[in-house]
Amino acid sequence: MDQILSDILENTFTLTQLKTRLRVLKASLLKEFFGGELEQAPEDLNWLSSLPKSFYLQFTKDNVYKLLEDLEKTIPTLPILTIYLTFEPNENALFQIGSFARKTYSTPLLLLDIKLDPALIAGCSLVWKGRQRDFSLRSKLEEKKPEILNSFKRFLR
Amino acid sequence: MYFDQYLQRRNYFEEQKKVFQETKQKSSQLLQAVEEAQASLLTQDNFVTKQLINQYSNQLSELIKNSGSSISAAQEQLIHFMEDLQKRSSDFEEASRVSTEKRISQLFERLEAKLSDFLIQTEQKTATSIELELKSVRQLIETYKNAQLKLIDENIIAMMEQTLSIILTKKLSLKDQLDLVYEALEKAKVEKFIV
Repeated sequence: MDQILSDILENTFTLTQLKTRLRVLKASLLKEFFGGELEQAPEDLNWLSSLPKSFYLQFTKDNVYKLLEDLEKTIPTLPILTIYLTFEPNENALFQIGSFARKTYSTPLLLLDIKLDPALIAGCSLVWKGRQRDFSLRSKLEEKKPEILNSFKRFLR
Repeated sequence: MYFDQYLQRRNYFEEQKKVFQETKQKSSQLLQAVEEAQASLLTQDNFVTKQLINQYSNQLSELIKNSGSSISAAQEQLIHFMEDLQKRSSDFEEASRVSTEKRISQLFERLEAKLSDFLIQTEQKTATSIELELKSVRQLIETYKNAQLKLIDENIIAMMEQTLSIILTKKLSLKDQLDLVYEALEKAKVEKFIV
Protein backbone atom coordinates (compact mmCIF):
# COMPACT_ATOMS: atom_id res chain seq x y z
CA MET A 1 0.00 0.00 0.00
CA ASP A 2 2.73 2.43 0.97
CA GLN A 3 4.66 1.53 -2.14
CA ILE A 4 1.63 2.17 -4.34
CA LEU A 5 1.14 5.55 -2.72
CA SER A 6 4.84 6.37 -3.03
CA ASP A 7 4.77 5.51 -6.71
CA ILE A 8 1.73 7.67 -7.29
CA LEU A 9 3.15 10.59 -5.33
CA GLU A 10 6.49 10.35 -7.12
CA ASN A 11 5.36 12.93 -9.66
CA THR A 12 2.05 13.97 -8.13
CA PHE A 13 2.36 17.05 -5.99
CA THR A 14 -1.06 18.54 -5.51
CA LEU A 15 -4.28 17.36 -3.95
CA THR A 16 -6.17 18.04 -7.16
CA GLN A 17 -3.65 16.06 -9.17
CA LEU A 18 -3.87 13.15 -6.75
CA LYS A 19 -7.67 12.99 -6.86
CA THR A 20 -7.69 13.26 -10.65
CA ARG A 21 -5.02 10.65 -11.10
CA LEU A 22 -6.66 8.21 -8.71
CA ARG A 23 -9.82 8.51 -10.78
CA VAL A 24 -7.84 7.99 -13.99
CA LEU A 25 -5.99 5.02 -12.48
CA LYS A 26 -9.20 3.47 -11.25
CA ALA A 27 -10.82 3.81 -14.67
CA SER A 28 -7.75 2.40 -16.35
CA LEU A 29 -7.45 -0.59 -13.99
CA LEU A 30 -11.16 -1.39 -14.18
CA LYS A 31 -10.96 -1.34 -17.95
CA GLU A 32 -7.91 -3.56 -17.77
CA PHE A 33 -9.56 -6.10 -15.48
CA PHE A 34 -13.18 -5.93 -16.45
CA GLY A 35 -13.13 -4.55 -19.98
CA GLY A 36 -15.10 -1.72 -21.48
CA GLU A 37 -14.26 1.41 -23.38
CA LEU A 38 -12.30 4.34 -22.07
CA GLU A 39 -10.94 7.54 -23.52
CA GLN A 40 -8.10 9.14 -21.61
CA ALA A 41 -6.52 12.58 -22.07
CA PRO A 42 -2.97 12.55 -23.42
CA GLU A 43 -1.50 13.91 -20.17
CA ASP A 44 -3.32 11.21 -18.22
CA LEU A 45 -2.02 8.55 -20.55
CA ASN A 46 1.46 9.99 -20.13
CA TRP A 47 1.18 9.77 -16.39
CA LEU A 48 -0.15 6.20 -16.50
CA SER A 49 2.72 5.18 -18.70
CA SER A 50 5.22 6.85 -16.38
CA LEU A 51 4.30 4.46 -13.56
CA PRO A 52 6.65 1.47 -13.22
CA LYS A 53 5.57 -2.02 -14.22
CA SER A 54 5.97 -3.22 -10.64
CA PHE A 55 3.25 -0.75 -9.68
CA TYR A 56 0.64 -2.41 -11.88
CA LEU A 57 1.66 -5.90 -10.75
CA GLN A 58 0.33 -5.12 -7.29
CA PHE A 59 -3.21 -4.90 -8.61
CA THR A 60 -5.37 -7.96 -9.37
CA LYS A 61 -9.01 -8.50 -10.19
CA ASP A 62 -9.62 -9.41 -6.57
CA ASN A 63 -7.85 -6.53 -4.78
CA VAL A 64 -8.32 -3.64 -7.18
CA TYR A 65 -11.41 -2.22 -5.48
CA LYS A 66 -9.99 -2.72 -2.02
CA LEU A 67 -6.67 -1.07 -2.84
CA LEU A 68 -8.29 1.87 -4.60
CA GLU A 69 -10.68 2.33 -1.71
CA ASP A 70 -7.79 2.24 0.75
CA LEU A 71 -5.93 4.78 -1.34
CA GLU A 72 -8.89 7.15 -1.29
CA LYS A 73 -9.18 6.74 2.47
CA THR A 74 -5.49 7.56 2.83
CA ILE A 75 -5.80 10.99 1.20
CA PRO A 76 -7.09 12.87 4.26
CA THR A 77 -4.28 11.47 6.39
CA LEU A 78 -1.54 12.85 4.12
CA PRO A 79 0.29 16.05 5.11
CA ILE A 80 -1.25 18.86 3.07
CA LEU A 81 0.30 22.29 2.70
CA THR A 82 -2.08 24.88 1.30
CA ILE A 83 -0.37 27.53 -0.79
CA TYR A 84 -2.08 30.70 -1.97
CA LEU A 85 -0.38 31.89 -5.15
CA THR A 86 -0.83 35.01 -7.25
CA PHE A 87 -0.49 33.10 -10.52
CA GLU A 88 -1.86 29.91 -11.95
CA PRO A 89 1.02 27.42 -12.07
CA ASN A 90 1.42 24.97 -14.93
CA GLU A 91 2.45 21.33 -14.52
CA ASN A 92 6.12 22.21 -14.60
CA ALA A 93 5.74 24.92 -11.97
CA LEU A 94 3.78 22.55 -9.75
CA PHE A 95 6.52 19.98 -10.14
CA GLN A 96 9.19 22.49 -9.15
CA ILE A 97 7.29 23.87 -6.18
CA GLY A 98 6.26 20.42 -4.99
CA SER A 99 9.76 19.01 -5.31
CA PHE A 100 11.25 21.97 -3.53
CA ALA A 101 8.72 21.73 -0.69
CA ARG A 102 9.23 17.99 -0.18
CA LYS A 103 13.00 18.43 -0.22
CA THR A 104 12.93 21.44 2.08
CA TYR A 105 10.70 19.80 4.68
CA SER A 106 12.02 16.28 4.12
CA THR A 107 8.47 15.01 3.66
CA PRO A 108 8.18 12.73 0.59
CA LEU A 109 4.42 12.38 0.91
CA LEU A 110 3.73 16.10 1.23
CA LEU A 111 0.83 17.32 -0.90
CA LEU A 112 0.13 20.85 -1.97
CA ASP A 113 -3.30 22.37 -2.10
CA ILE A 114 -2.91 25.21 -4.57
CA LYS A 115 -5.29 28.18 -4.39
CA LEU A 116 -5.28 31.50 -6.19
CA ASP A 117 -5.28 34.91 -4.49
CA PRO A 118 -4.21 37.75 -6.81
CA ALA A 119 -4.61 40.26 -3.95
CA LEU A 120 -1.33 38.94 -2.50
CA ILE A 121 0.43 40.89 -5.33
CA ALA A 122 3.48 38.59 -5.32
CA GLY A 123 4.92 35.74 -3.26
CA CYS A 124 2.63 33.36 -1.43
CA SER A 125 0.68 32.67 1.73
CA LEU A 126 0.92 29.30 3.50
CA VAL A 127 -1.59 27.38 5.57
CA TRP A 128 -0.31 24.49 7.66
CA LYS A 129 -2.44 22.53 10.11
CA GLY A 130 -5.00 25.30 10.39
CA ARG A 131 -2.46 28.12 10.86
CA GLN A 132 -1.85 30.72 8.18
CA ARG A 133 1.29 32.69 7.51
CA ASP A 134 1.45 35.38 4.88
CA PHE A 135 4.78 35.70 3.10
CA SER A 136 3.40 37.79 0.26
CA LEU A 137 4.34 41.25 -0.88
CA ARG A 138 1.02 42.51 0.48
CA SER A 139 1.97 41.50 4.02
CA LYS A 140 5.38 43.11 3.60
CA LEU A 141 3.70 46.30 2.44
CA GLU A 142 1.44 46.12 5.48
CA GLU A 143 4.43 45.70 7.78
CA LYS A 144 6.24 48.62 6.20
CA LYS A 145 3.11 50.73 5.88
CA PRO A 146 4.20 53.60 8.21
CA GLU A 147 7.61 53.88 6.53
CA ILE A 148 6.09 53.77 3.07
CA LEU A 149 3.54 56.43 3.98
CA ASN A 150 6.22 58.65 5.48
CA SER A 151 8.35 58.32 2.38
CA PHE A 152 5.36 59.05 0.22
CA LYS A 153 4.43 62.12 2.25
CA ARG A 154 8.01 63.36 2.16
CA PHE A 155 7.95 62.91 -1.59
CA LEU A 156 4.70 64.88 -1.83
CA ARG A 157 6.24 67.79 0.10
CA MET B 1 -56.25 108.65 67.65
CA TYR B 2 -56.98 111.58 65.37
CA PHE B 3 -60.36 110.21 64.74
CA ASP B 4 -61.08 109.94 68.48
CA GLN B 5 -59.98 113.50 69.00
CA TYR B 6 -62.04 114.56 66.11
CA LEU B 7 -65.08 112.81 67.54
CA GLN B 8 -64.51 114.42 70.94
CA ARG B 9 -64.21 117.80 69.33
CA ARG B 10 -67.34 117.25 67.32
CA ASN B 11 -69.25 116.12 70.38
CA TYR B 12 -68.05 119.17 72.21
CA PHE B 13 -69.10 121.35 69.34
CA GLU B 14 -72.47 119.63 69.21
CA GLU B 15 -72.91 120.22 72.92
CA GLN B 16 -72.02 123.87 72.50
CA LYS B 17 -74.43 124.07 69.66
CA LYS B 18 -77.09 122.45 71.81
CA VAL B 19 -76.38 124.89 74.66
CA PHE B 20 -76.64 127.70 72.18
CA GLN B 21 -79.93 126.35 70.88
CA GLU B 22 -81.26 125.92 74.40
CA THR B 23 -80.06 129.37 75.28
CA LYS B 24 -81.66 130.74 72.22
CA GLN B 25 -84.88 128.90 73.02
CA LYS B 26 -84.82 130.08 76.59
CA SER B 27 -84.09 133.57 75.39
CA SER B 28 -87.11 133.40 73.15
CA GLN B 29 -89.19 132.13 76.05
CA LEU B 30 -87.83 134.87 78.23
CA LEU B 31 -88.56 137.49 75.60
CA GLN B 32 -92.03 136.11 75.30
CA ALA B 33 -92.41 136.17 79.06
CA VAL B 34 -90.99 139.66 79.16
CA GLU B 35 -93.38 140.83 76.54
CA GLU B 36 -96.22 139.27 78.41
CA ALA B 37 -94.96 140.74 81.64
CA GLN B 38 -94.45 144.04 79.94
CA ALA B 39 -97.90 143.99 78.69
CA SER B 40 -99.23 143.19 82.09
CA LEU B 41 -96.95 145.70 83.75
CA LEU B 42 -97.88 148.33 81.31
CA THR B 43 -101.26 147.80 82.38
CA GLN B 44 -100.29 147.70 86.11
CA ASP B 45 -97.15 149.48 86.93
CA ASN B 46 -94.62 151.14 84.66
CA PHE B 47 -91.79 151.19 87.17
CA VAL B 48 -91.91 147.57 88.01
CA THR B 49 -92.19 146.85 84.38
CA LYS B 50 -89.14 148.90 83.54
CA GLN B 51 -87.21 147.32 86.37
CA LEU B 52 -88.09 143.87 85.20
CA ILE B 53 -87.28 144.73 81.63
CA ASN B 54 -83.87 146.00 82.64
CA GLN B 55 -83.26 142.94 84.76
CA TYR B 56 -84.22 140.61 81.98
CA SER B 57 -82.26 142.58 79.45
CA ASN B 58 -79.14 142.34 81.58
CA GLN B 59 -79.58 138.61 82.06
CA LEU B 60 -80.19 138.17 78.39
CA SER B 61 -77.09 140.15 77.41
CA GLU B 62 -74.97 138.20 79.83
CA LEU B 63 -76.34 134.94 78.53
CA ILE B 64 -75.71 135.94 74.93
CA LYS B 65 -72.21 137.13 75.85
CA ASN B 66 -71.41 133.81 77.56
CA SER B 67 -72.74 131.83 74.63
CA GLY B 68 -70.71 133.89 72.15
CA SER B 69 -67.49 133.34 74.07
CA SER B 70 -68.17 129.59 74.25
CA ILE B 71 -68.78 129.44 70.50
CA SER B 72 -65.61 131.42 69.83
CA ALA B 73 -63.60 129.09 72.06
CA ALA B 74 -65.10 126.08 70.31
CA GLN B 75 -64.30 127.55 66.92
CA GLU B 76 -60.74 128.30 68.00
CA GLN B 77 -60.31 124.78 69.28
CA LEU B 78 -61.73 123.41 66.08
CA ILE B 79 -59.41 125.54 63.99
CA HIS B 80 -56.50 124.56 66.17
CA PHE B 81 -57.46 120.91 65.83
CA MET B 82 -57.77 121.21 62.08
CA GLU B 83 -54.38 122.91 61.86
CA ASP B 84 -52.86 120.23 64.05
CA LEU B 85 -54.48 117.57 61.94
CA GLN B 86 -53.19 119.22 58.78
CA LYS B 87 -49.70 119.45 60.24
CA ARG B 88 -49.78 115.82 61.33
CA SER B 89 -51.10 114.79 57.96
CA SER B 90 -48.35 116.75 56.26
CA ASP B 91 -45.73 115.15 58.55
CA PHE B 92 -47.19 111.72 57.89
CA GLU B 93 -47.19 112.37 54.18
CA GLU B 94 -43.58 113.51 54.31
CA ALA B 95 -42.56 110.48 56.39
CA SER B 96 -44.44 108.22 54.04
CA ARG B 97 -42.75 109.82 51.06
CA VAL B 98 -39.32 109.47 52.64
CA SER B 99 -40.05 105.85 53.61
CA THR B 100 -41.34 105.05 50.13
CA GLU B 101 -38.32 106.65 48.53
CA LYS B 102 -36.06 104.71 50.86
CA ARG B 103 -37.82 101.44 50.10
CA ILE B 104 -37.75 102.13 46.37
CA SER B 105 -34.08 102.96 46.65
CA GLN B 106 -33.43 99.70 48.55
CA LEU B 107 -35.50 97.82 46.02
CA PHE B 108 -33.48 99.27 43.18
CA GLU B 109 -30.24 98.46 44.97
CA ARG B 110 -31.32 94.86 45.51
CA LEU B 111 -32.53 94.63 41.93
CA GLU B 112 -29.24 96.06 40.71
CA ALA B 113 -27.25 93.61 42.84
CA LYS B 114 -29.33 90.64 41.70
CA LEU B 115 -29.18 91.76 38.09
CA SER B 116 -25.44 92.14 38.38
CA ASP B 117 -25.11 88.64 39.90
CA PHE B 118 -27.36 87.22 37.24
CA LEU B 119 -25.35 88.86 34.47
CA ILE B 120 -22.07 87.62 35.95
CA GLN B 121 -23.44 84.09 36.31
CA THR B 122 -24.86 84.21 32.81
CA GLU B 123 -21.56 85.46 31.47
CA GLN B 124 -19.67 82.69 33.26
CA LYS B 125 -22.11 80.04 32.09
CA THR B 126 -21.99 81.37 28.55
CA ALA B 127 -18.20 81.41 28.59
CA THR B 128 -18.08 77.85 29.96
CA SER B 129 -20.61 76.71 27.42
CA ILE B 130 -18.71 78.32 24.57
CA GLU B 131 -15.46 76.79 25.79
CA LEU B 132 -17.06 73.33 25.96
CA GLU B 133 -18.56 73.82 22.54
CA LEU B 134 -15.22 74.93 21.14
CA LYS B 135 -13.50 71.96 22.76
CA SER B 136 -16.10 69.62 21.31
CA VAL B 137 -15.77 71.17 17.87
CA ARG B 138 -11.96 70.96 18.05
CA GLN B 139 -12.20 67.30 19.03
CA LEU B 140 -14.65 66.70 16.22
CA ILE B 141 -12.35 68.41 13.74
CA GLU B 142 -9.40 66.43 15.07
CA THR B 143 -11.33 63.17 14.80
CA TYR B 144 -12.50 64.06 11.31
CA LYS B 145 -8.97 65.08 10.34
CA ASN B 146 -7.52 61.83 11.67
CA ALA B 147 -10.23 59.81 9.94
CA GLN B 148 -9.56 61.63 6.67
CA LEU B 149 -5.80 61.18 7.02
CA LYS B 150 -6.33 57.51 7.80
CA LEU B 151 -8.58 57.23 4.77
CA ILE B 152 -5.96 58.97 2.62
CA ASP B 153 -3.29 56.62 3.97
CA GLU B 154 -5.49 53.63 3.22
CA ASN B 155 -6.10 54.98 -0.27
CA ILE B 156 -2.40 55.52 -0.84
CA ILE B 157 -1.63 51.95 0.22
CA ALA B 158 -4.54 50.60 -1.83
CA MET B 159 -3.36 52.53 -4.89
CA MET B 160 0.16 51.33 -4.33
CA GLU B 161 -1.00 47.71 -3.97
CA GLN B 162 -3.13 47.98 -7.06
CA THR B 163 -0.33 49.54 -9.07
CA LEU B 164 2.17 46.95 -7.88
CA SER B 165 -0.27 44.17 -8.62
CA ILE B 166 -0.79 45.38 -12.18
CA ILE B 167 2.88 45.97 -12.82
CA LEU B 168 4.22 42.83 -11.15
CA THR B 169 1.70 40.59 -12.85
CA LYS B 170 3.06 41.79 -16.15
CA LYS B 171 6.70 42.17 -15.21
CA LEU B 172 7.39 39.20 -12.94
CA SER B 173 8.47 36.10 -14.82
CA LEU B 174 7.53 32.59 -13.78
CA LYS B 175 11.04 32.11 -12.48
CA ASP B 176 10.71 35.24 -10.33
CA GLN B 177 7.38 34.00 -9.01
CA LEU B 178 8.86 30.59 -8.22
CA ASP B 179 11.85 32.22 -6.52
CA LEU B 180 9.47 34.14 -4.29
CA VAL B 181 7.62 30.90 -3.42
CA TYR B 182 10.90 29.12 -2.63
CA GLU B 183 11.93 32.02 -0.46
CA ALA B 184 8.61 31.83 1.40
CA LEU B 185 8.96 28.06 1.89
CA GLU B 186 12.48 28.47 3.25
CA LYS B 187 11.42 31.27 5.51
CA ALA B 188 8.57 29.13 6.84
CA LYS B 189 11.11 26.43 7.65
CA VAL B 190 13.48 28.85 9.37
CA GLU B 191 10.63 30.26 11.43
CA LYS B 192 9.53 26.68 12.21
CA PHE B 193 6.09 27.44 10.84
CA ILE B 194 6.08 24.04 9.15
CA VAL B 195 7.50 21.33 11.40
